[in-house]
Amino acid sequence: MEGLGSLGINVSTLLAQVVNVAILFGLLYLVAYRPIMRMLDERSRKIKESMDNTEHIKQQAERAEGEAAKRIEEAAKEGQEAIARAMRTGDEVRQEAQQKAKSEGEALITRARSEIQRERDEAIDQLRGEFADITIEAAGKVIDRTLDKKAHRDIIDKVLKESTTLKKG
Amino acid sequence: MSEKKGCLGCSFPLVIGLAVVLLVVLGIGIAVGPVGKSIFGDLGLPGWLSVPQPELKLPADTVFHLFGFPIANSVIAAWITIIFLVGVSYLITRRMKLVPGRLQTVFEFLVGWLYDLCVSVAGEENGRRFFPVVATIFLFVAFNAWLALLIPGFGSITIHTAEGEAHLLRAANTDINMPLALAFTSFGFFWYFGFKTLGIRFMENFLNFKVLKDGFRQLFRGKLVDGLLGIFTGAMTIVTGLLELLSVFIRIISLTFRLFGNMTAGEILIFVMLFLVTYLSVLVLPLYGLELLIGFIQAIIFGGLTLIFLTVAVQSHGEEAH
Repeated sequence: MEGLGSLGINVSTLLAQVVNVAILFGLLYLVAYRPIMRMLDERSRKIKESMDNTEHIKQQAERAEGEAAKRIEEAAKEGQEAIARAMRTGDEVRQEAQQKAKSEGEALITRARSEIQRERDEAIDQLRGEFADITIEAAGKVIDRTLDKKAHRDIIDKVLKESTTLKKG
Repeated sequence: MSEKKGCLGCSFPLVIGLAVVLLVVLGIGIAVGPVGKSIFGDLGLPGWLSVPQPELKLPADTVFHLFGFPIANSVIAAWITIIFLVGVSYLITRRMKLVPGRLQTVFEFLVGWLYDLCVSVAGEENGRRFFPVVATIFLFVAFNAWLALLIPGFGSITIHTAEGEAHLLRAANTDINMPLALAFTSFGFFWYFGFKTLGIRFMENFLNFKVLKDGFRQLFRGKLVDGLLGIFTGAMTIVTGLLELLSVFIRIISLTFRLFGNMTAGEILIFVMLFLVTYLSVLVLPLYGLELLIGFIQAIIFGGLTLIFLTVAVQSHGEEAH
């Protein structure tokens, strides 16, 4: 014990230092290791969680993107269909309109023709009447006597009727 | 370009004058110190110029008694370290944030570094269990050394006690009781973790009669060669086990004296150097840097060895063999 004493080994100081180490251990455990380990664990958990979340969100975004692309494709397809349909309908309408216009036109032409024909006939009739009168008057002047207007007129009309040049169309 | 004259921004005469003054101070210091005394004898210089003889004392001085319990100056130093470590830890961990500030980052870096060291040596599960022990030992050793070097007053404030003059503070690591207490802590945790992990099987590392028993069994079955071989191996196992047990106890001594020796040697080195250069003590400053480094290295060694001992303790020899 003499040698140990000269080195400075002293039971009471040794005990005090052991107690000091124990106290430091306990206090540091409470104020340093536990909170820091908890914080480090918490942080790594949070990081892991947010990384998982990121992965999740990424997947979701990819899914959403795929879905959007599909929708766009569908919409494009629908749009194409609608356009095609509209064009078809347009064609039909146009054809119908053309048809209608054509038939109307034809009807108009027909009507106009018949109108022309009628007016022509009327004109011919009128012309014929006037022509007979003029002819009779001219013939009366030539032979210088009054002709029986009624009897001659019938004859002229008959001739006119028989002539081919002024035939009604 | 103007030519620079002089040295270190001073004119040559000034530098030479300063050098002369410094040399004179150094010369007088050495002359009145132990070197001068041994060469010139007593020069009869005034009392205020003389340097007192250094006294190297290994045992720590008792400063006061607390409830009849003697309190040594190294114990007070240990208290200062405890107060410092716990105080700083408390201030930092009081308001821990998930996104840390600067101080918290530094503290977390230190603690995280120690934790990673434990995990890298002992594995994830054991590293977590050993971490508080290793970290406490590391921090205590390192800060005992650093605070003793960086806080003024260590080894310089003397007080009058019942037993005469005594230093108020003394670096805790340079009092053998502190390294010994740490070694006992390491030793205690070695047995604690060993028994906690392996149970009574832990003792098989030191006292293993199984191989010897198997040898005798073989012998009784008539297998002479196998039996004798088994008995020989068994005897060897017992001897190596006892040697292992002895080494566990020797660790206390090796751990204690490694730390105590290094720290005390550093202290004595600075002490002697200060004594030799006397007035120009600033010349000893690099040694302070060296001692700071040594304190850190000793802390790593003490903590690291404890970590390795604890890791060995929780591995059964049976597992190692297979």
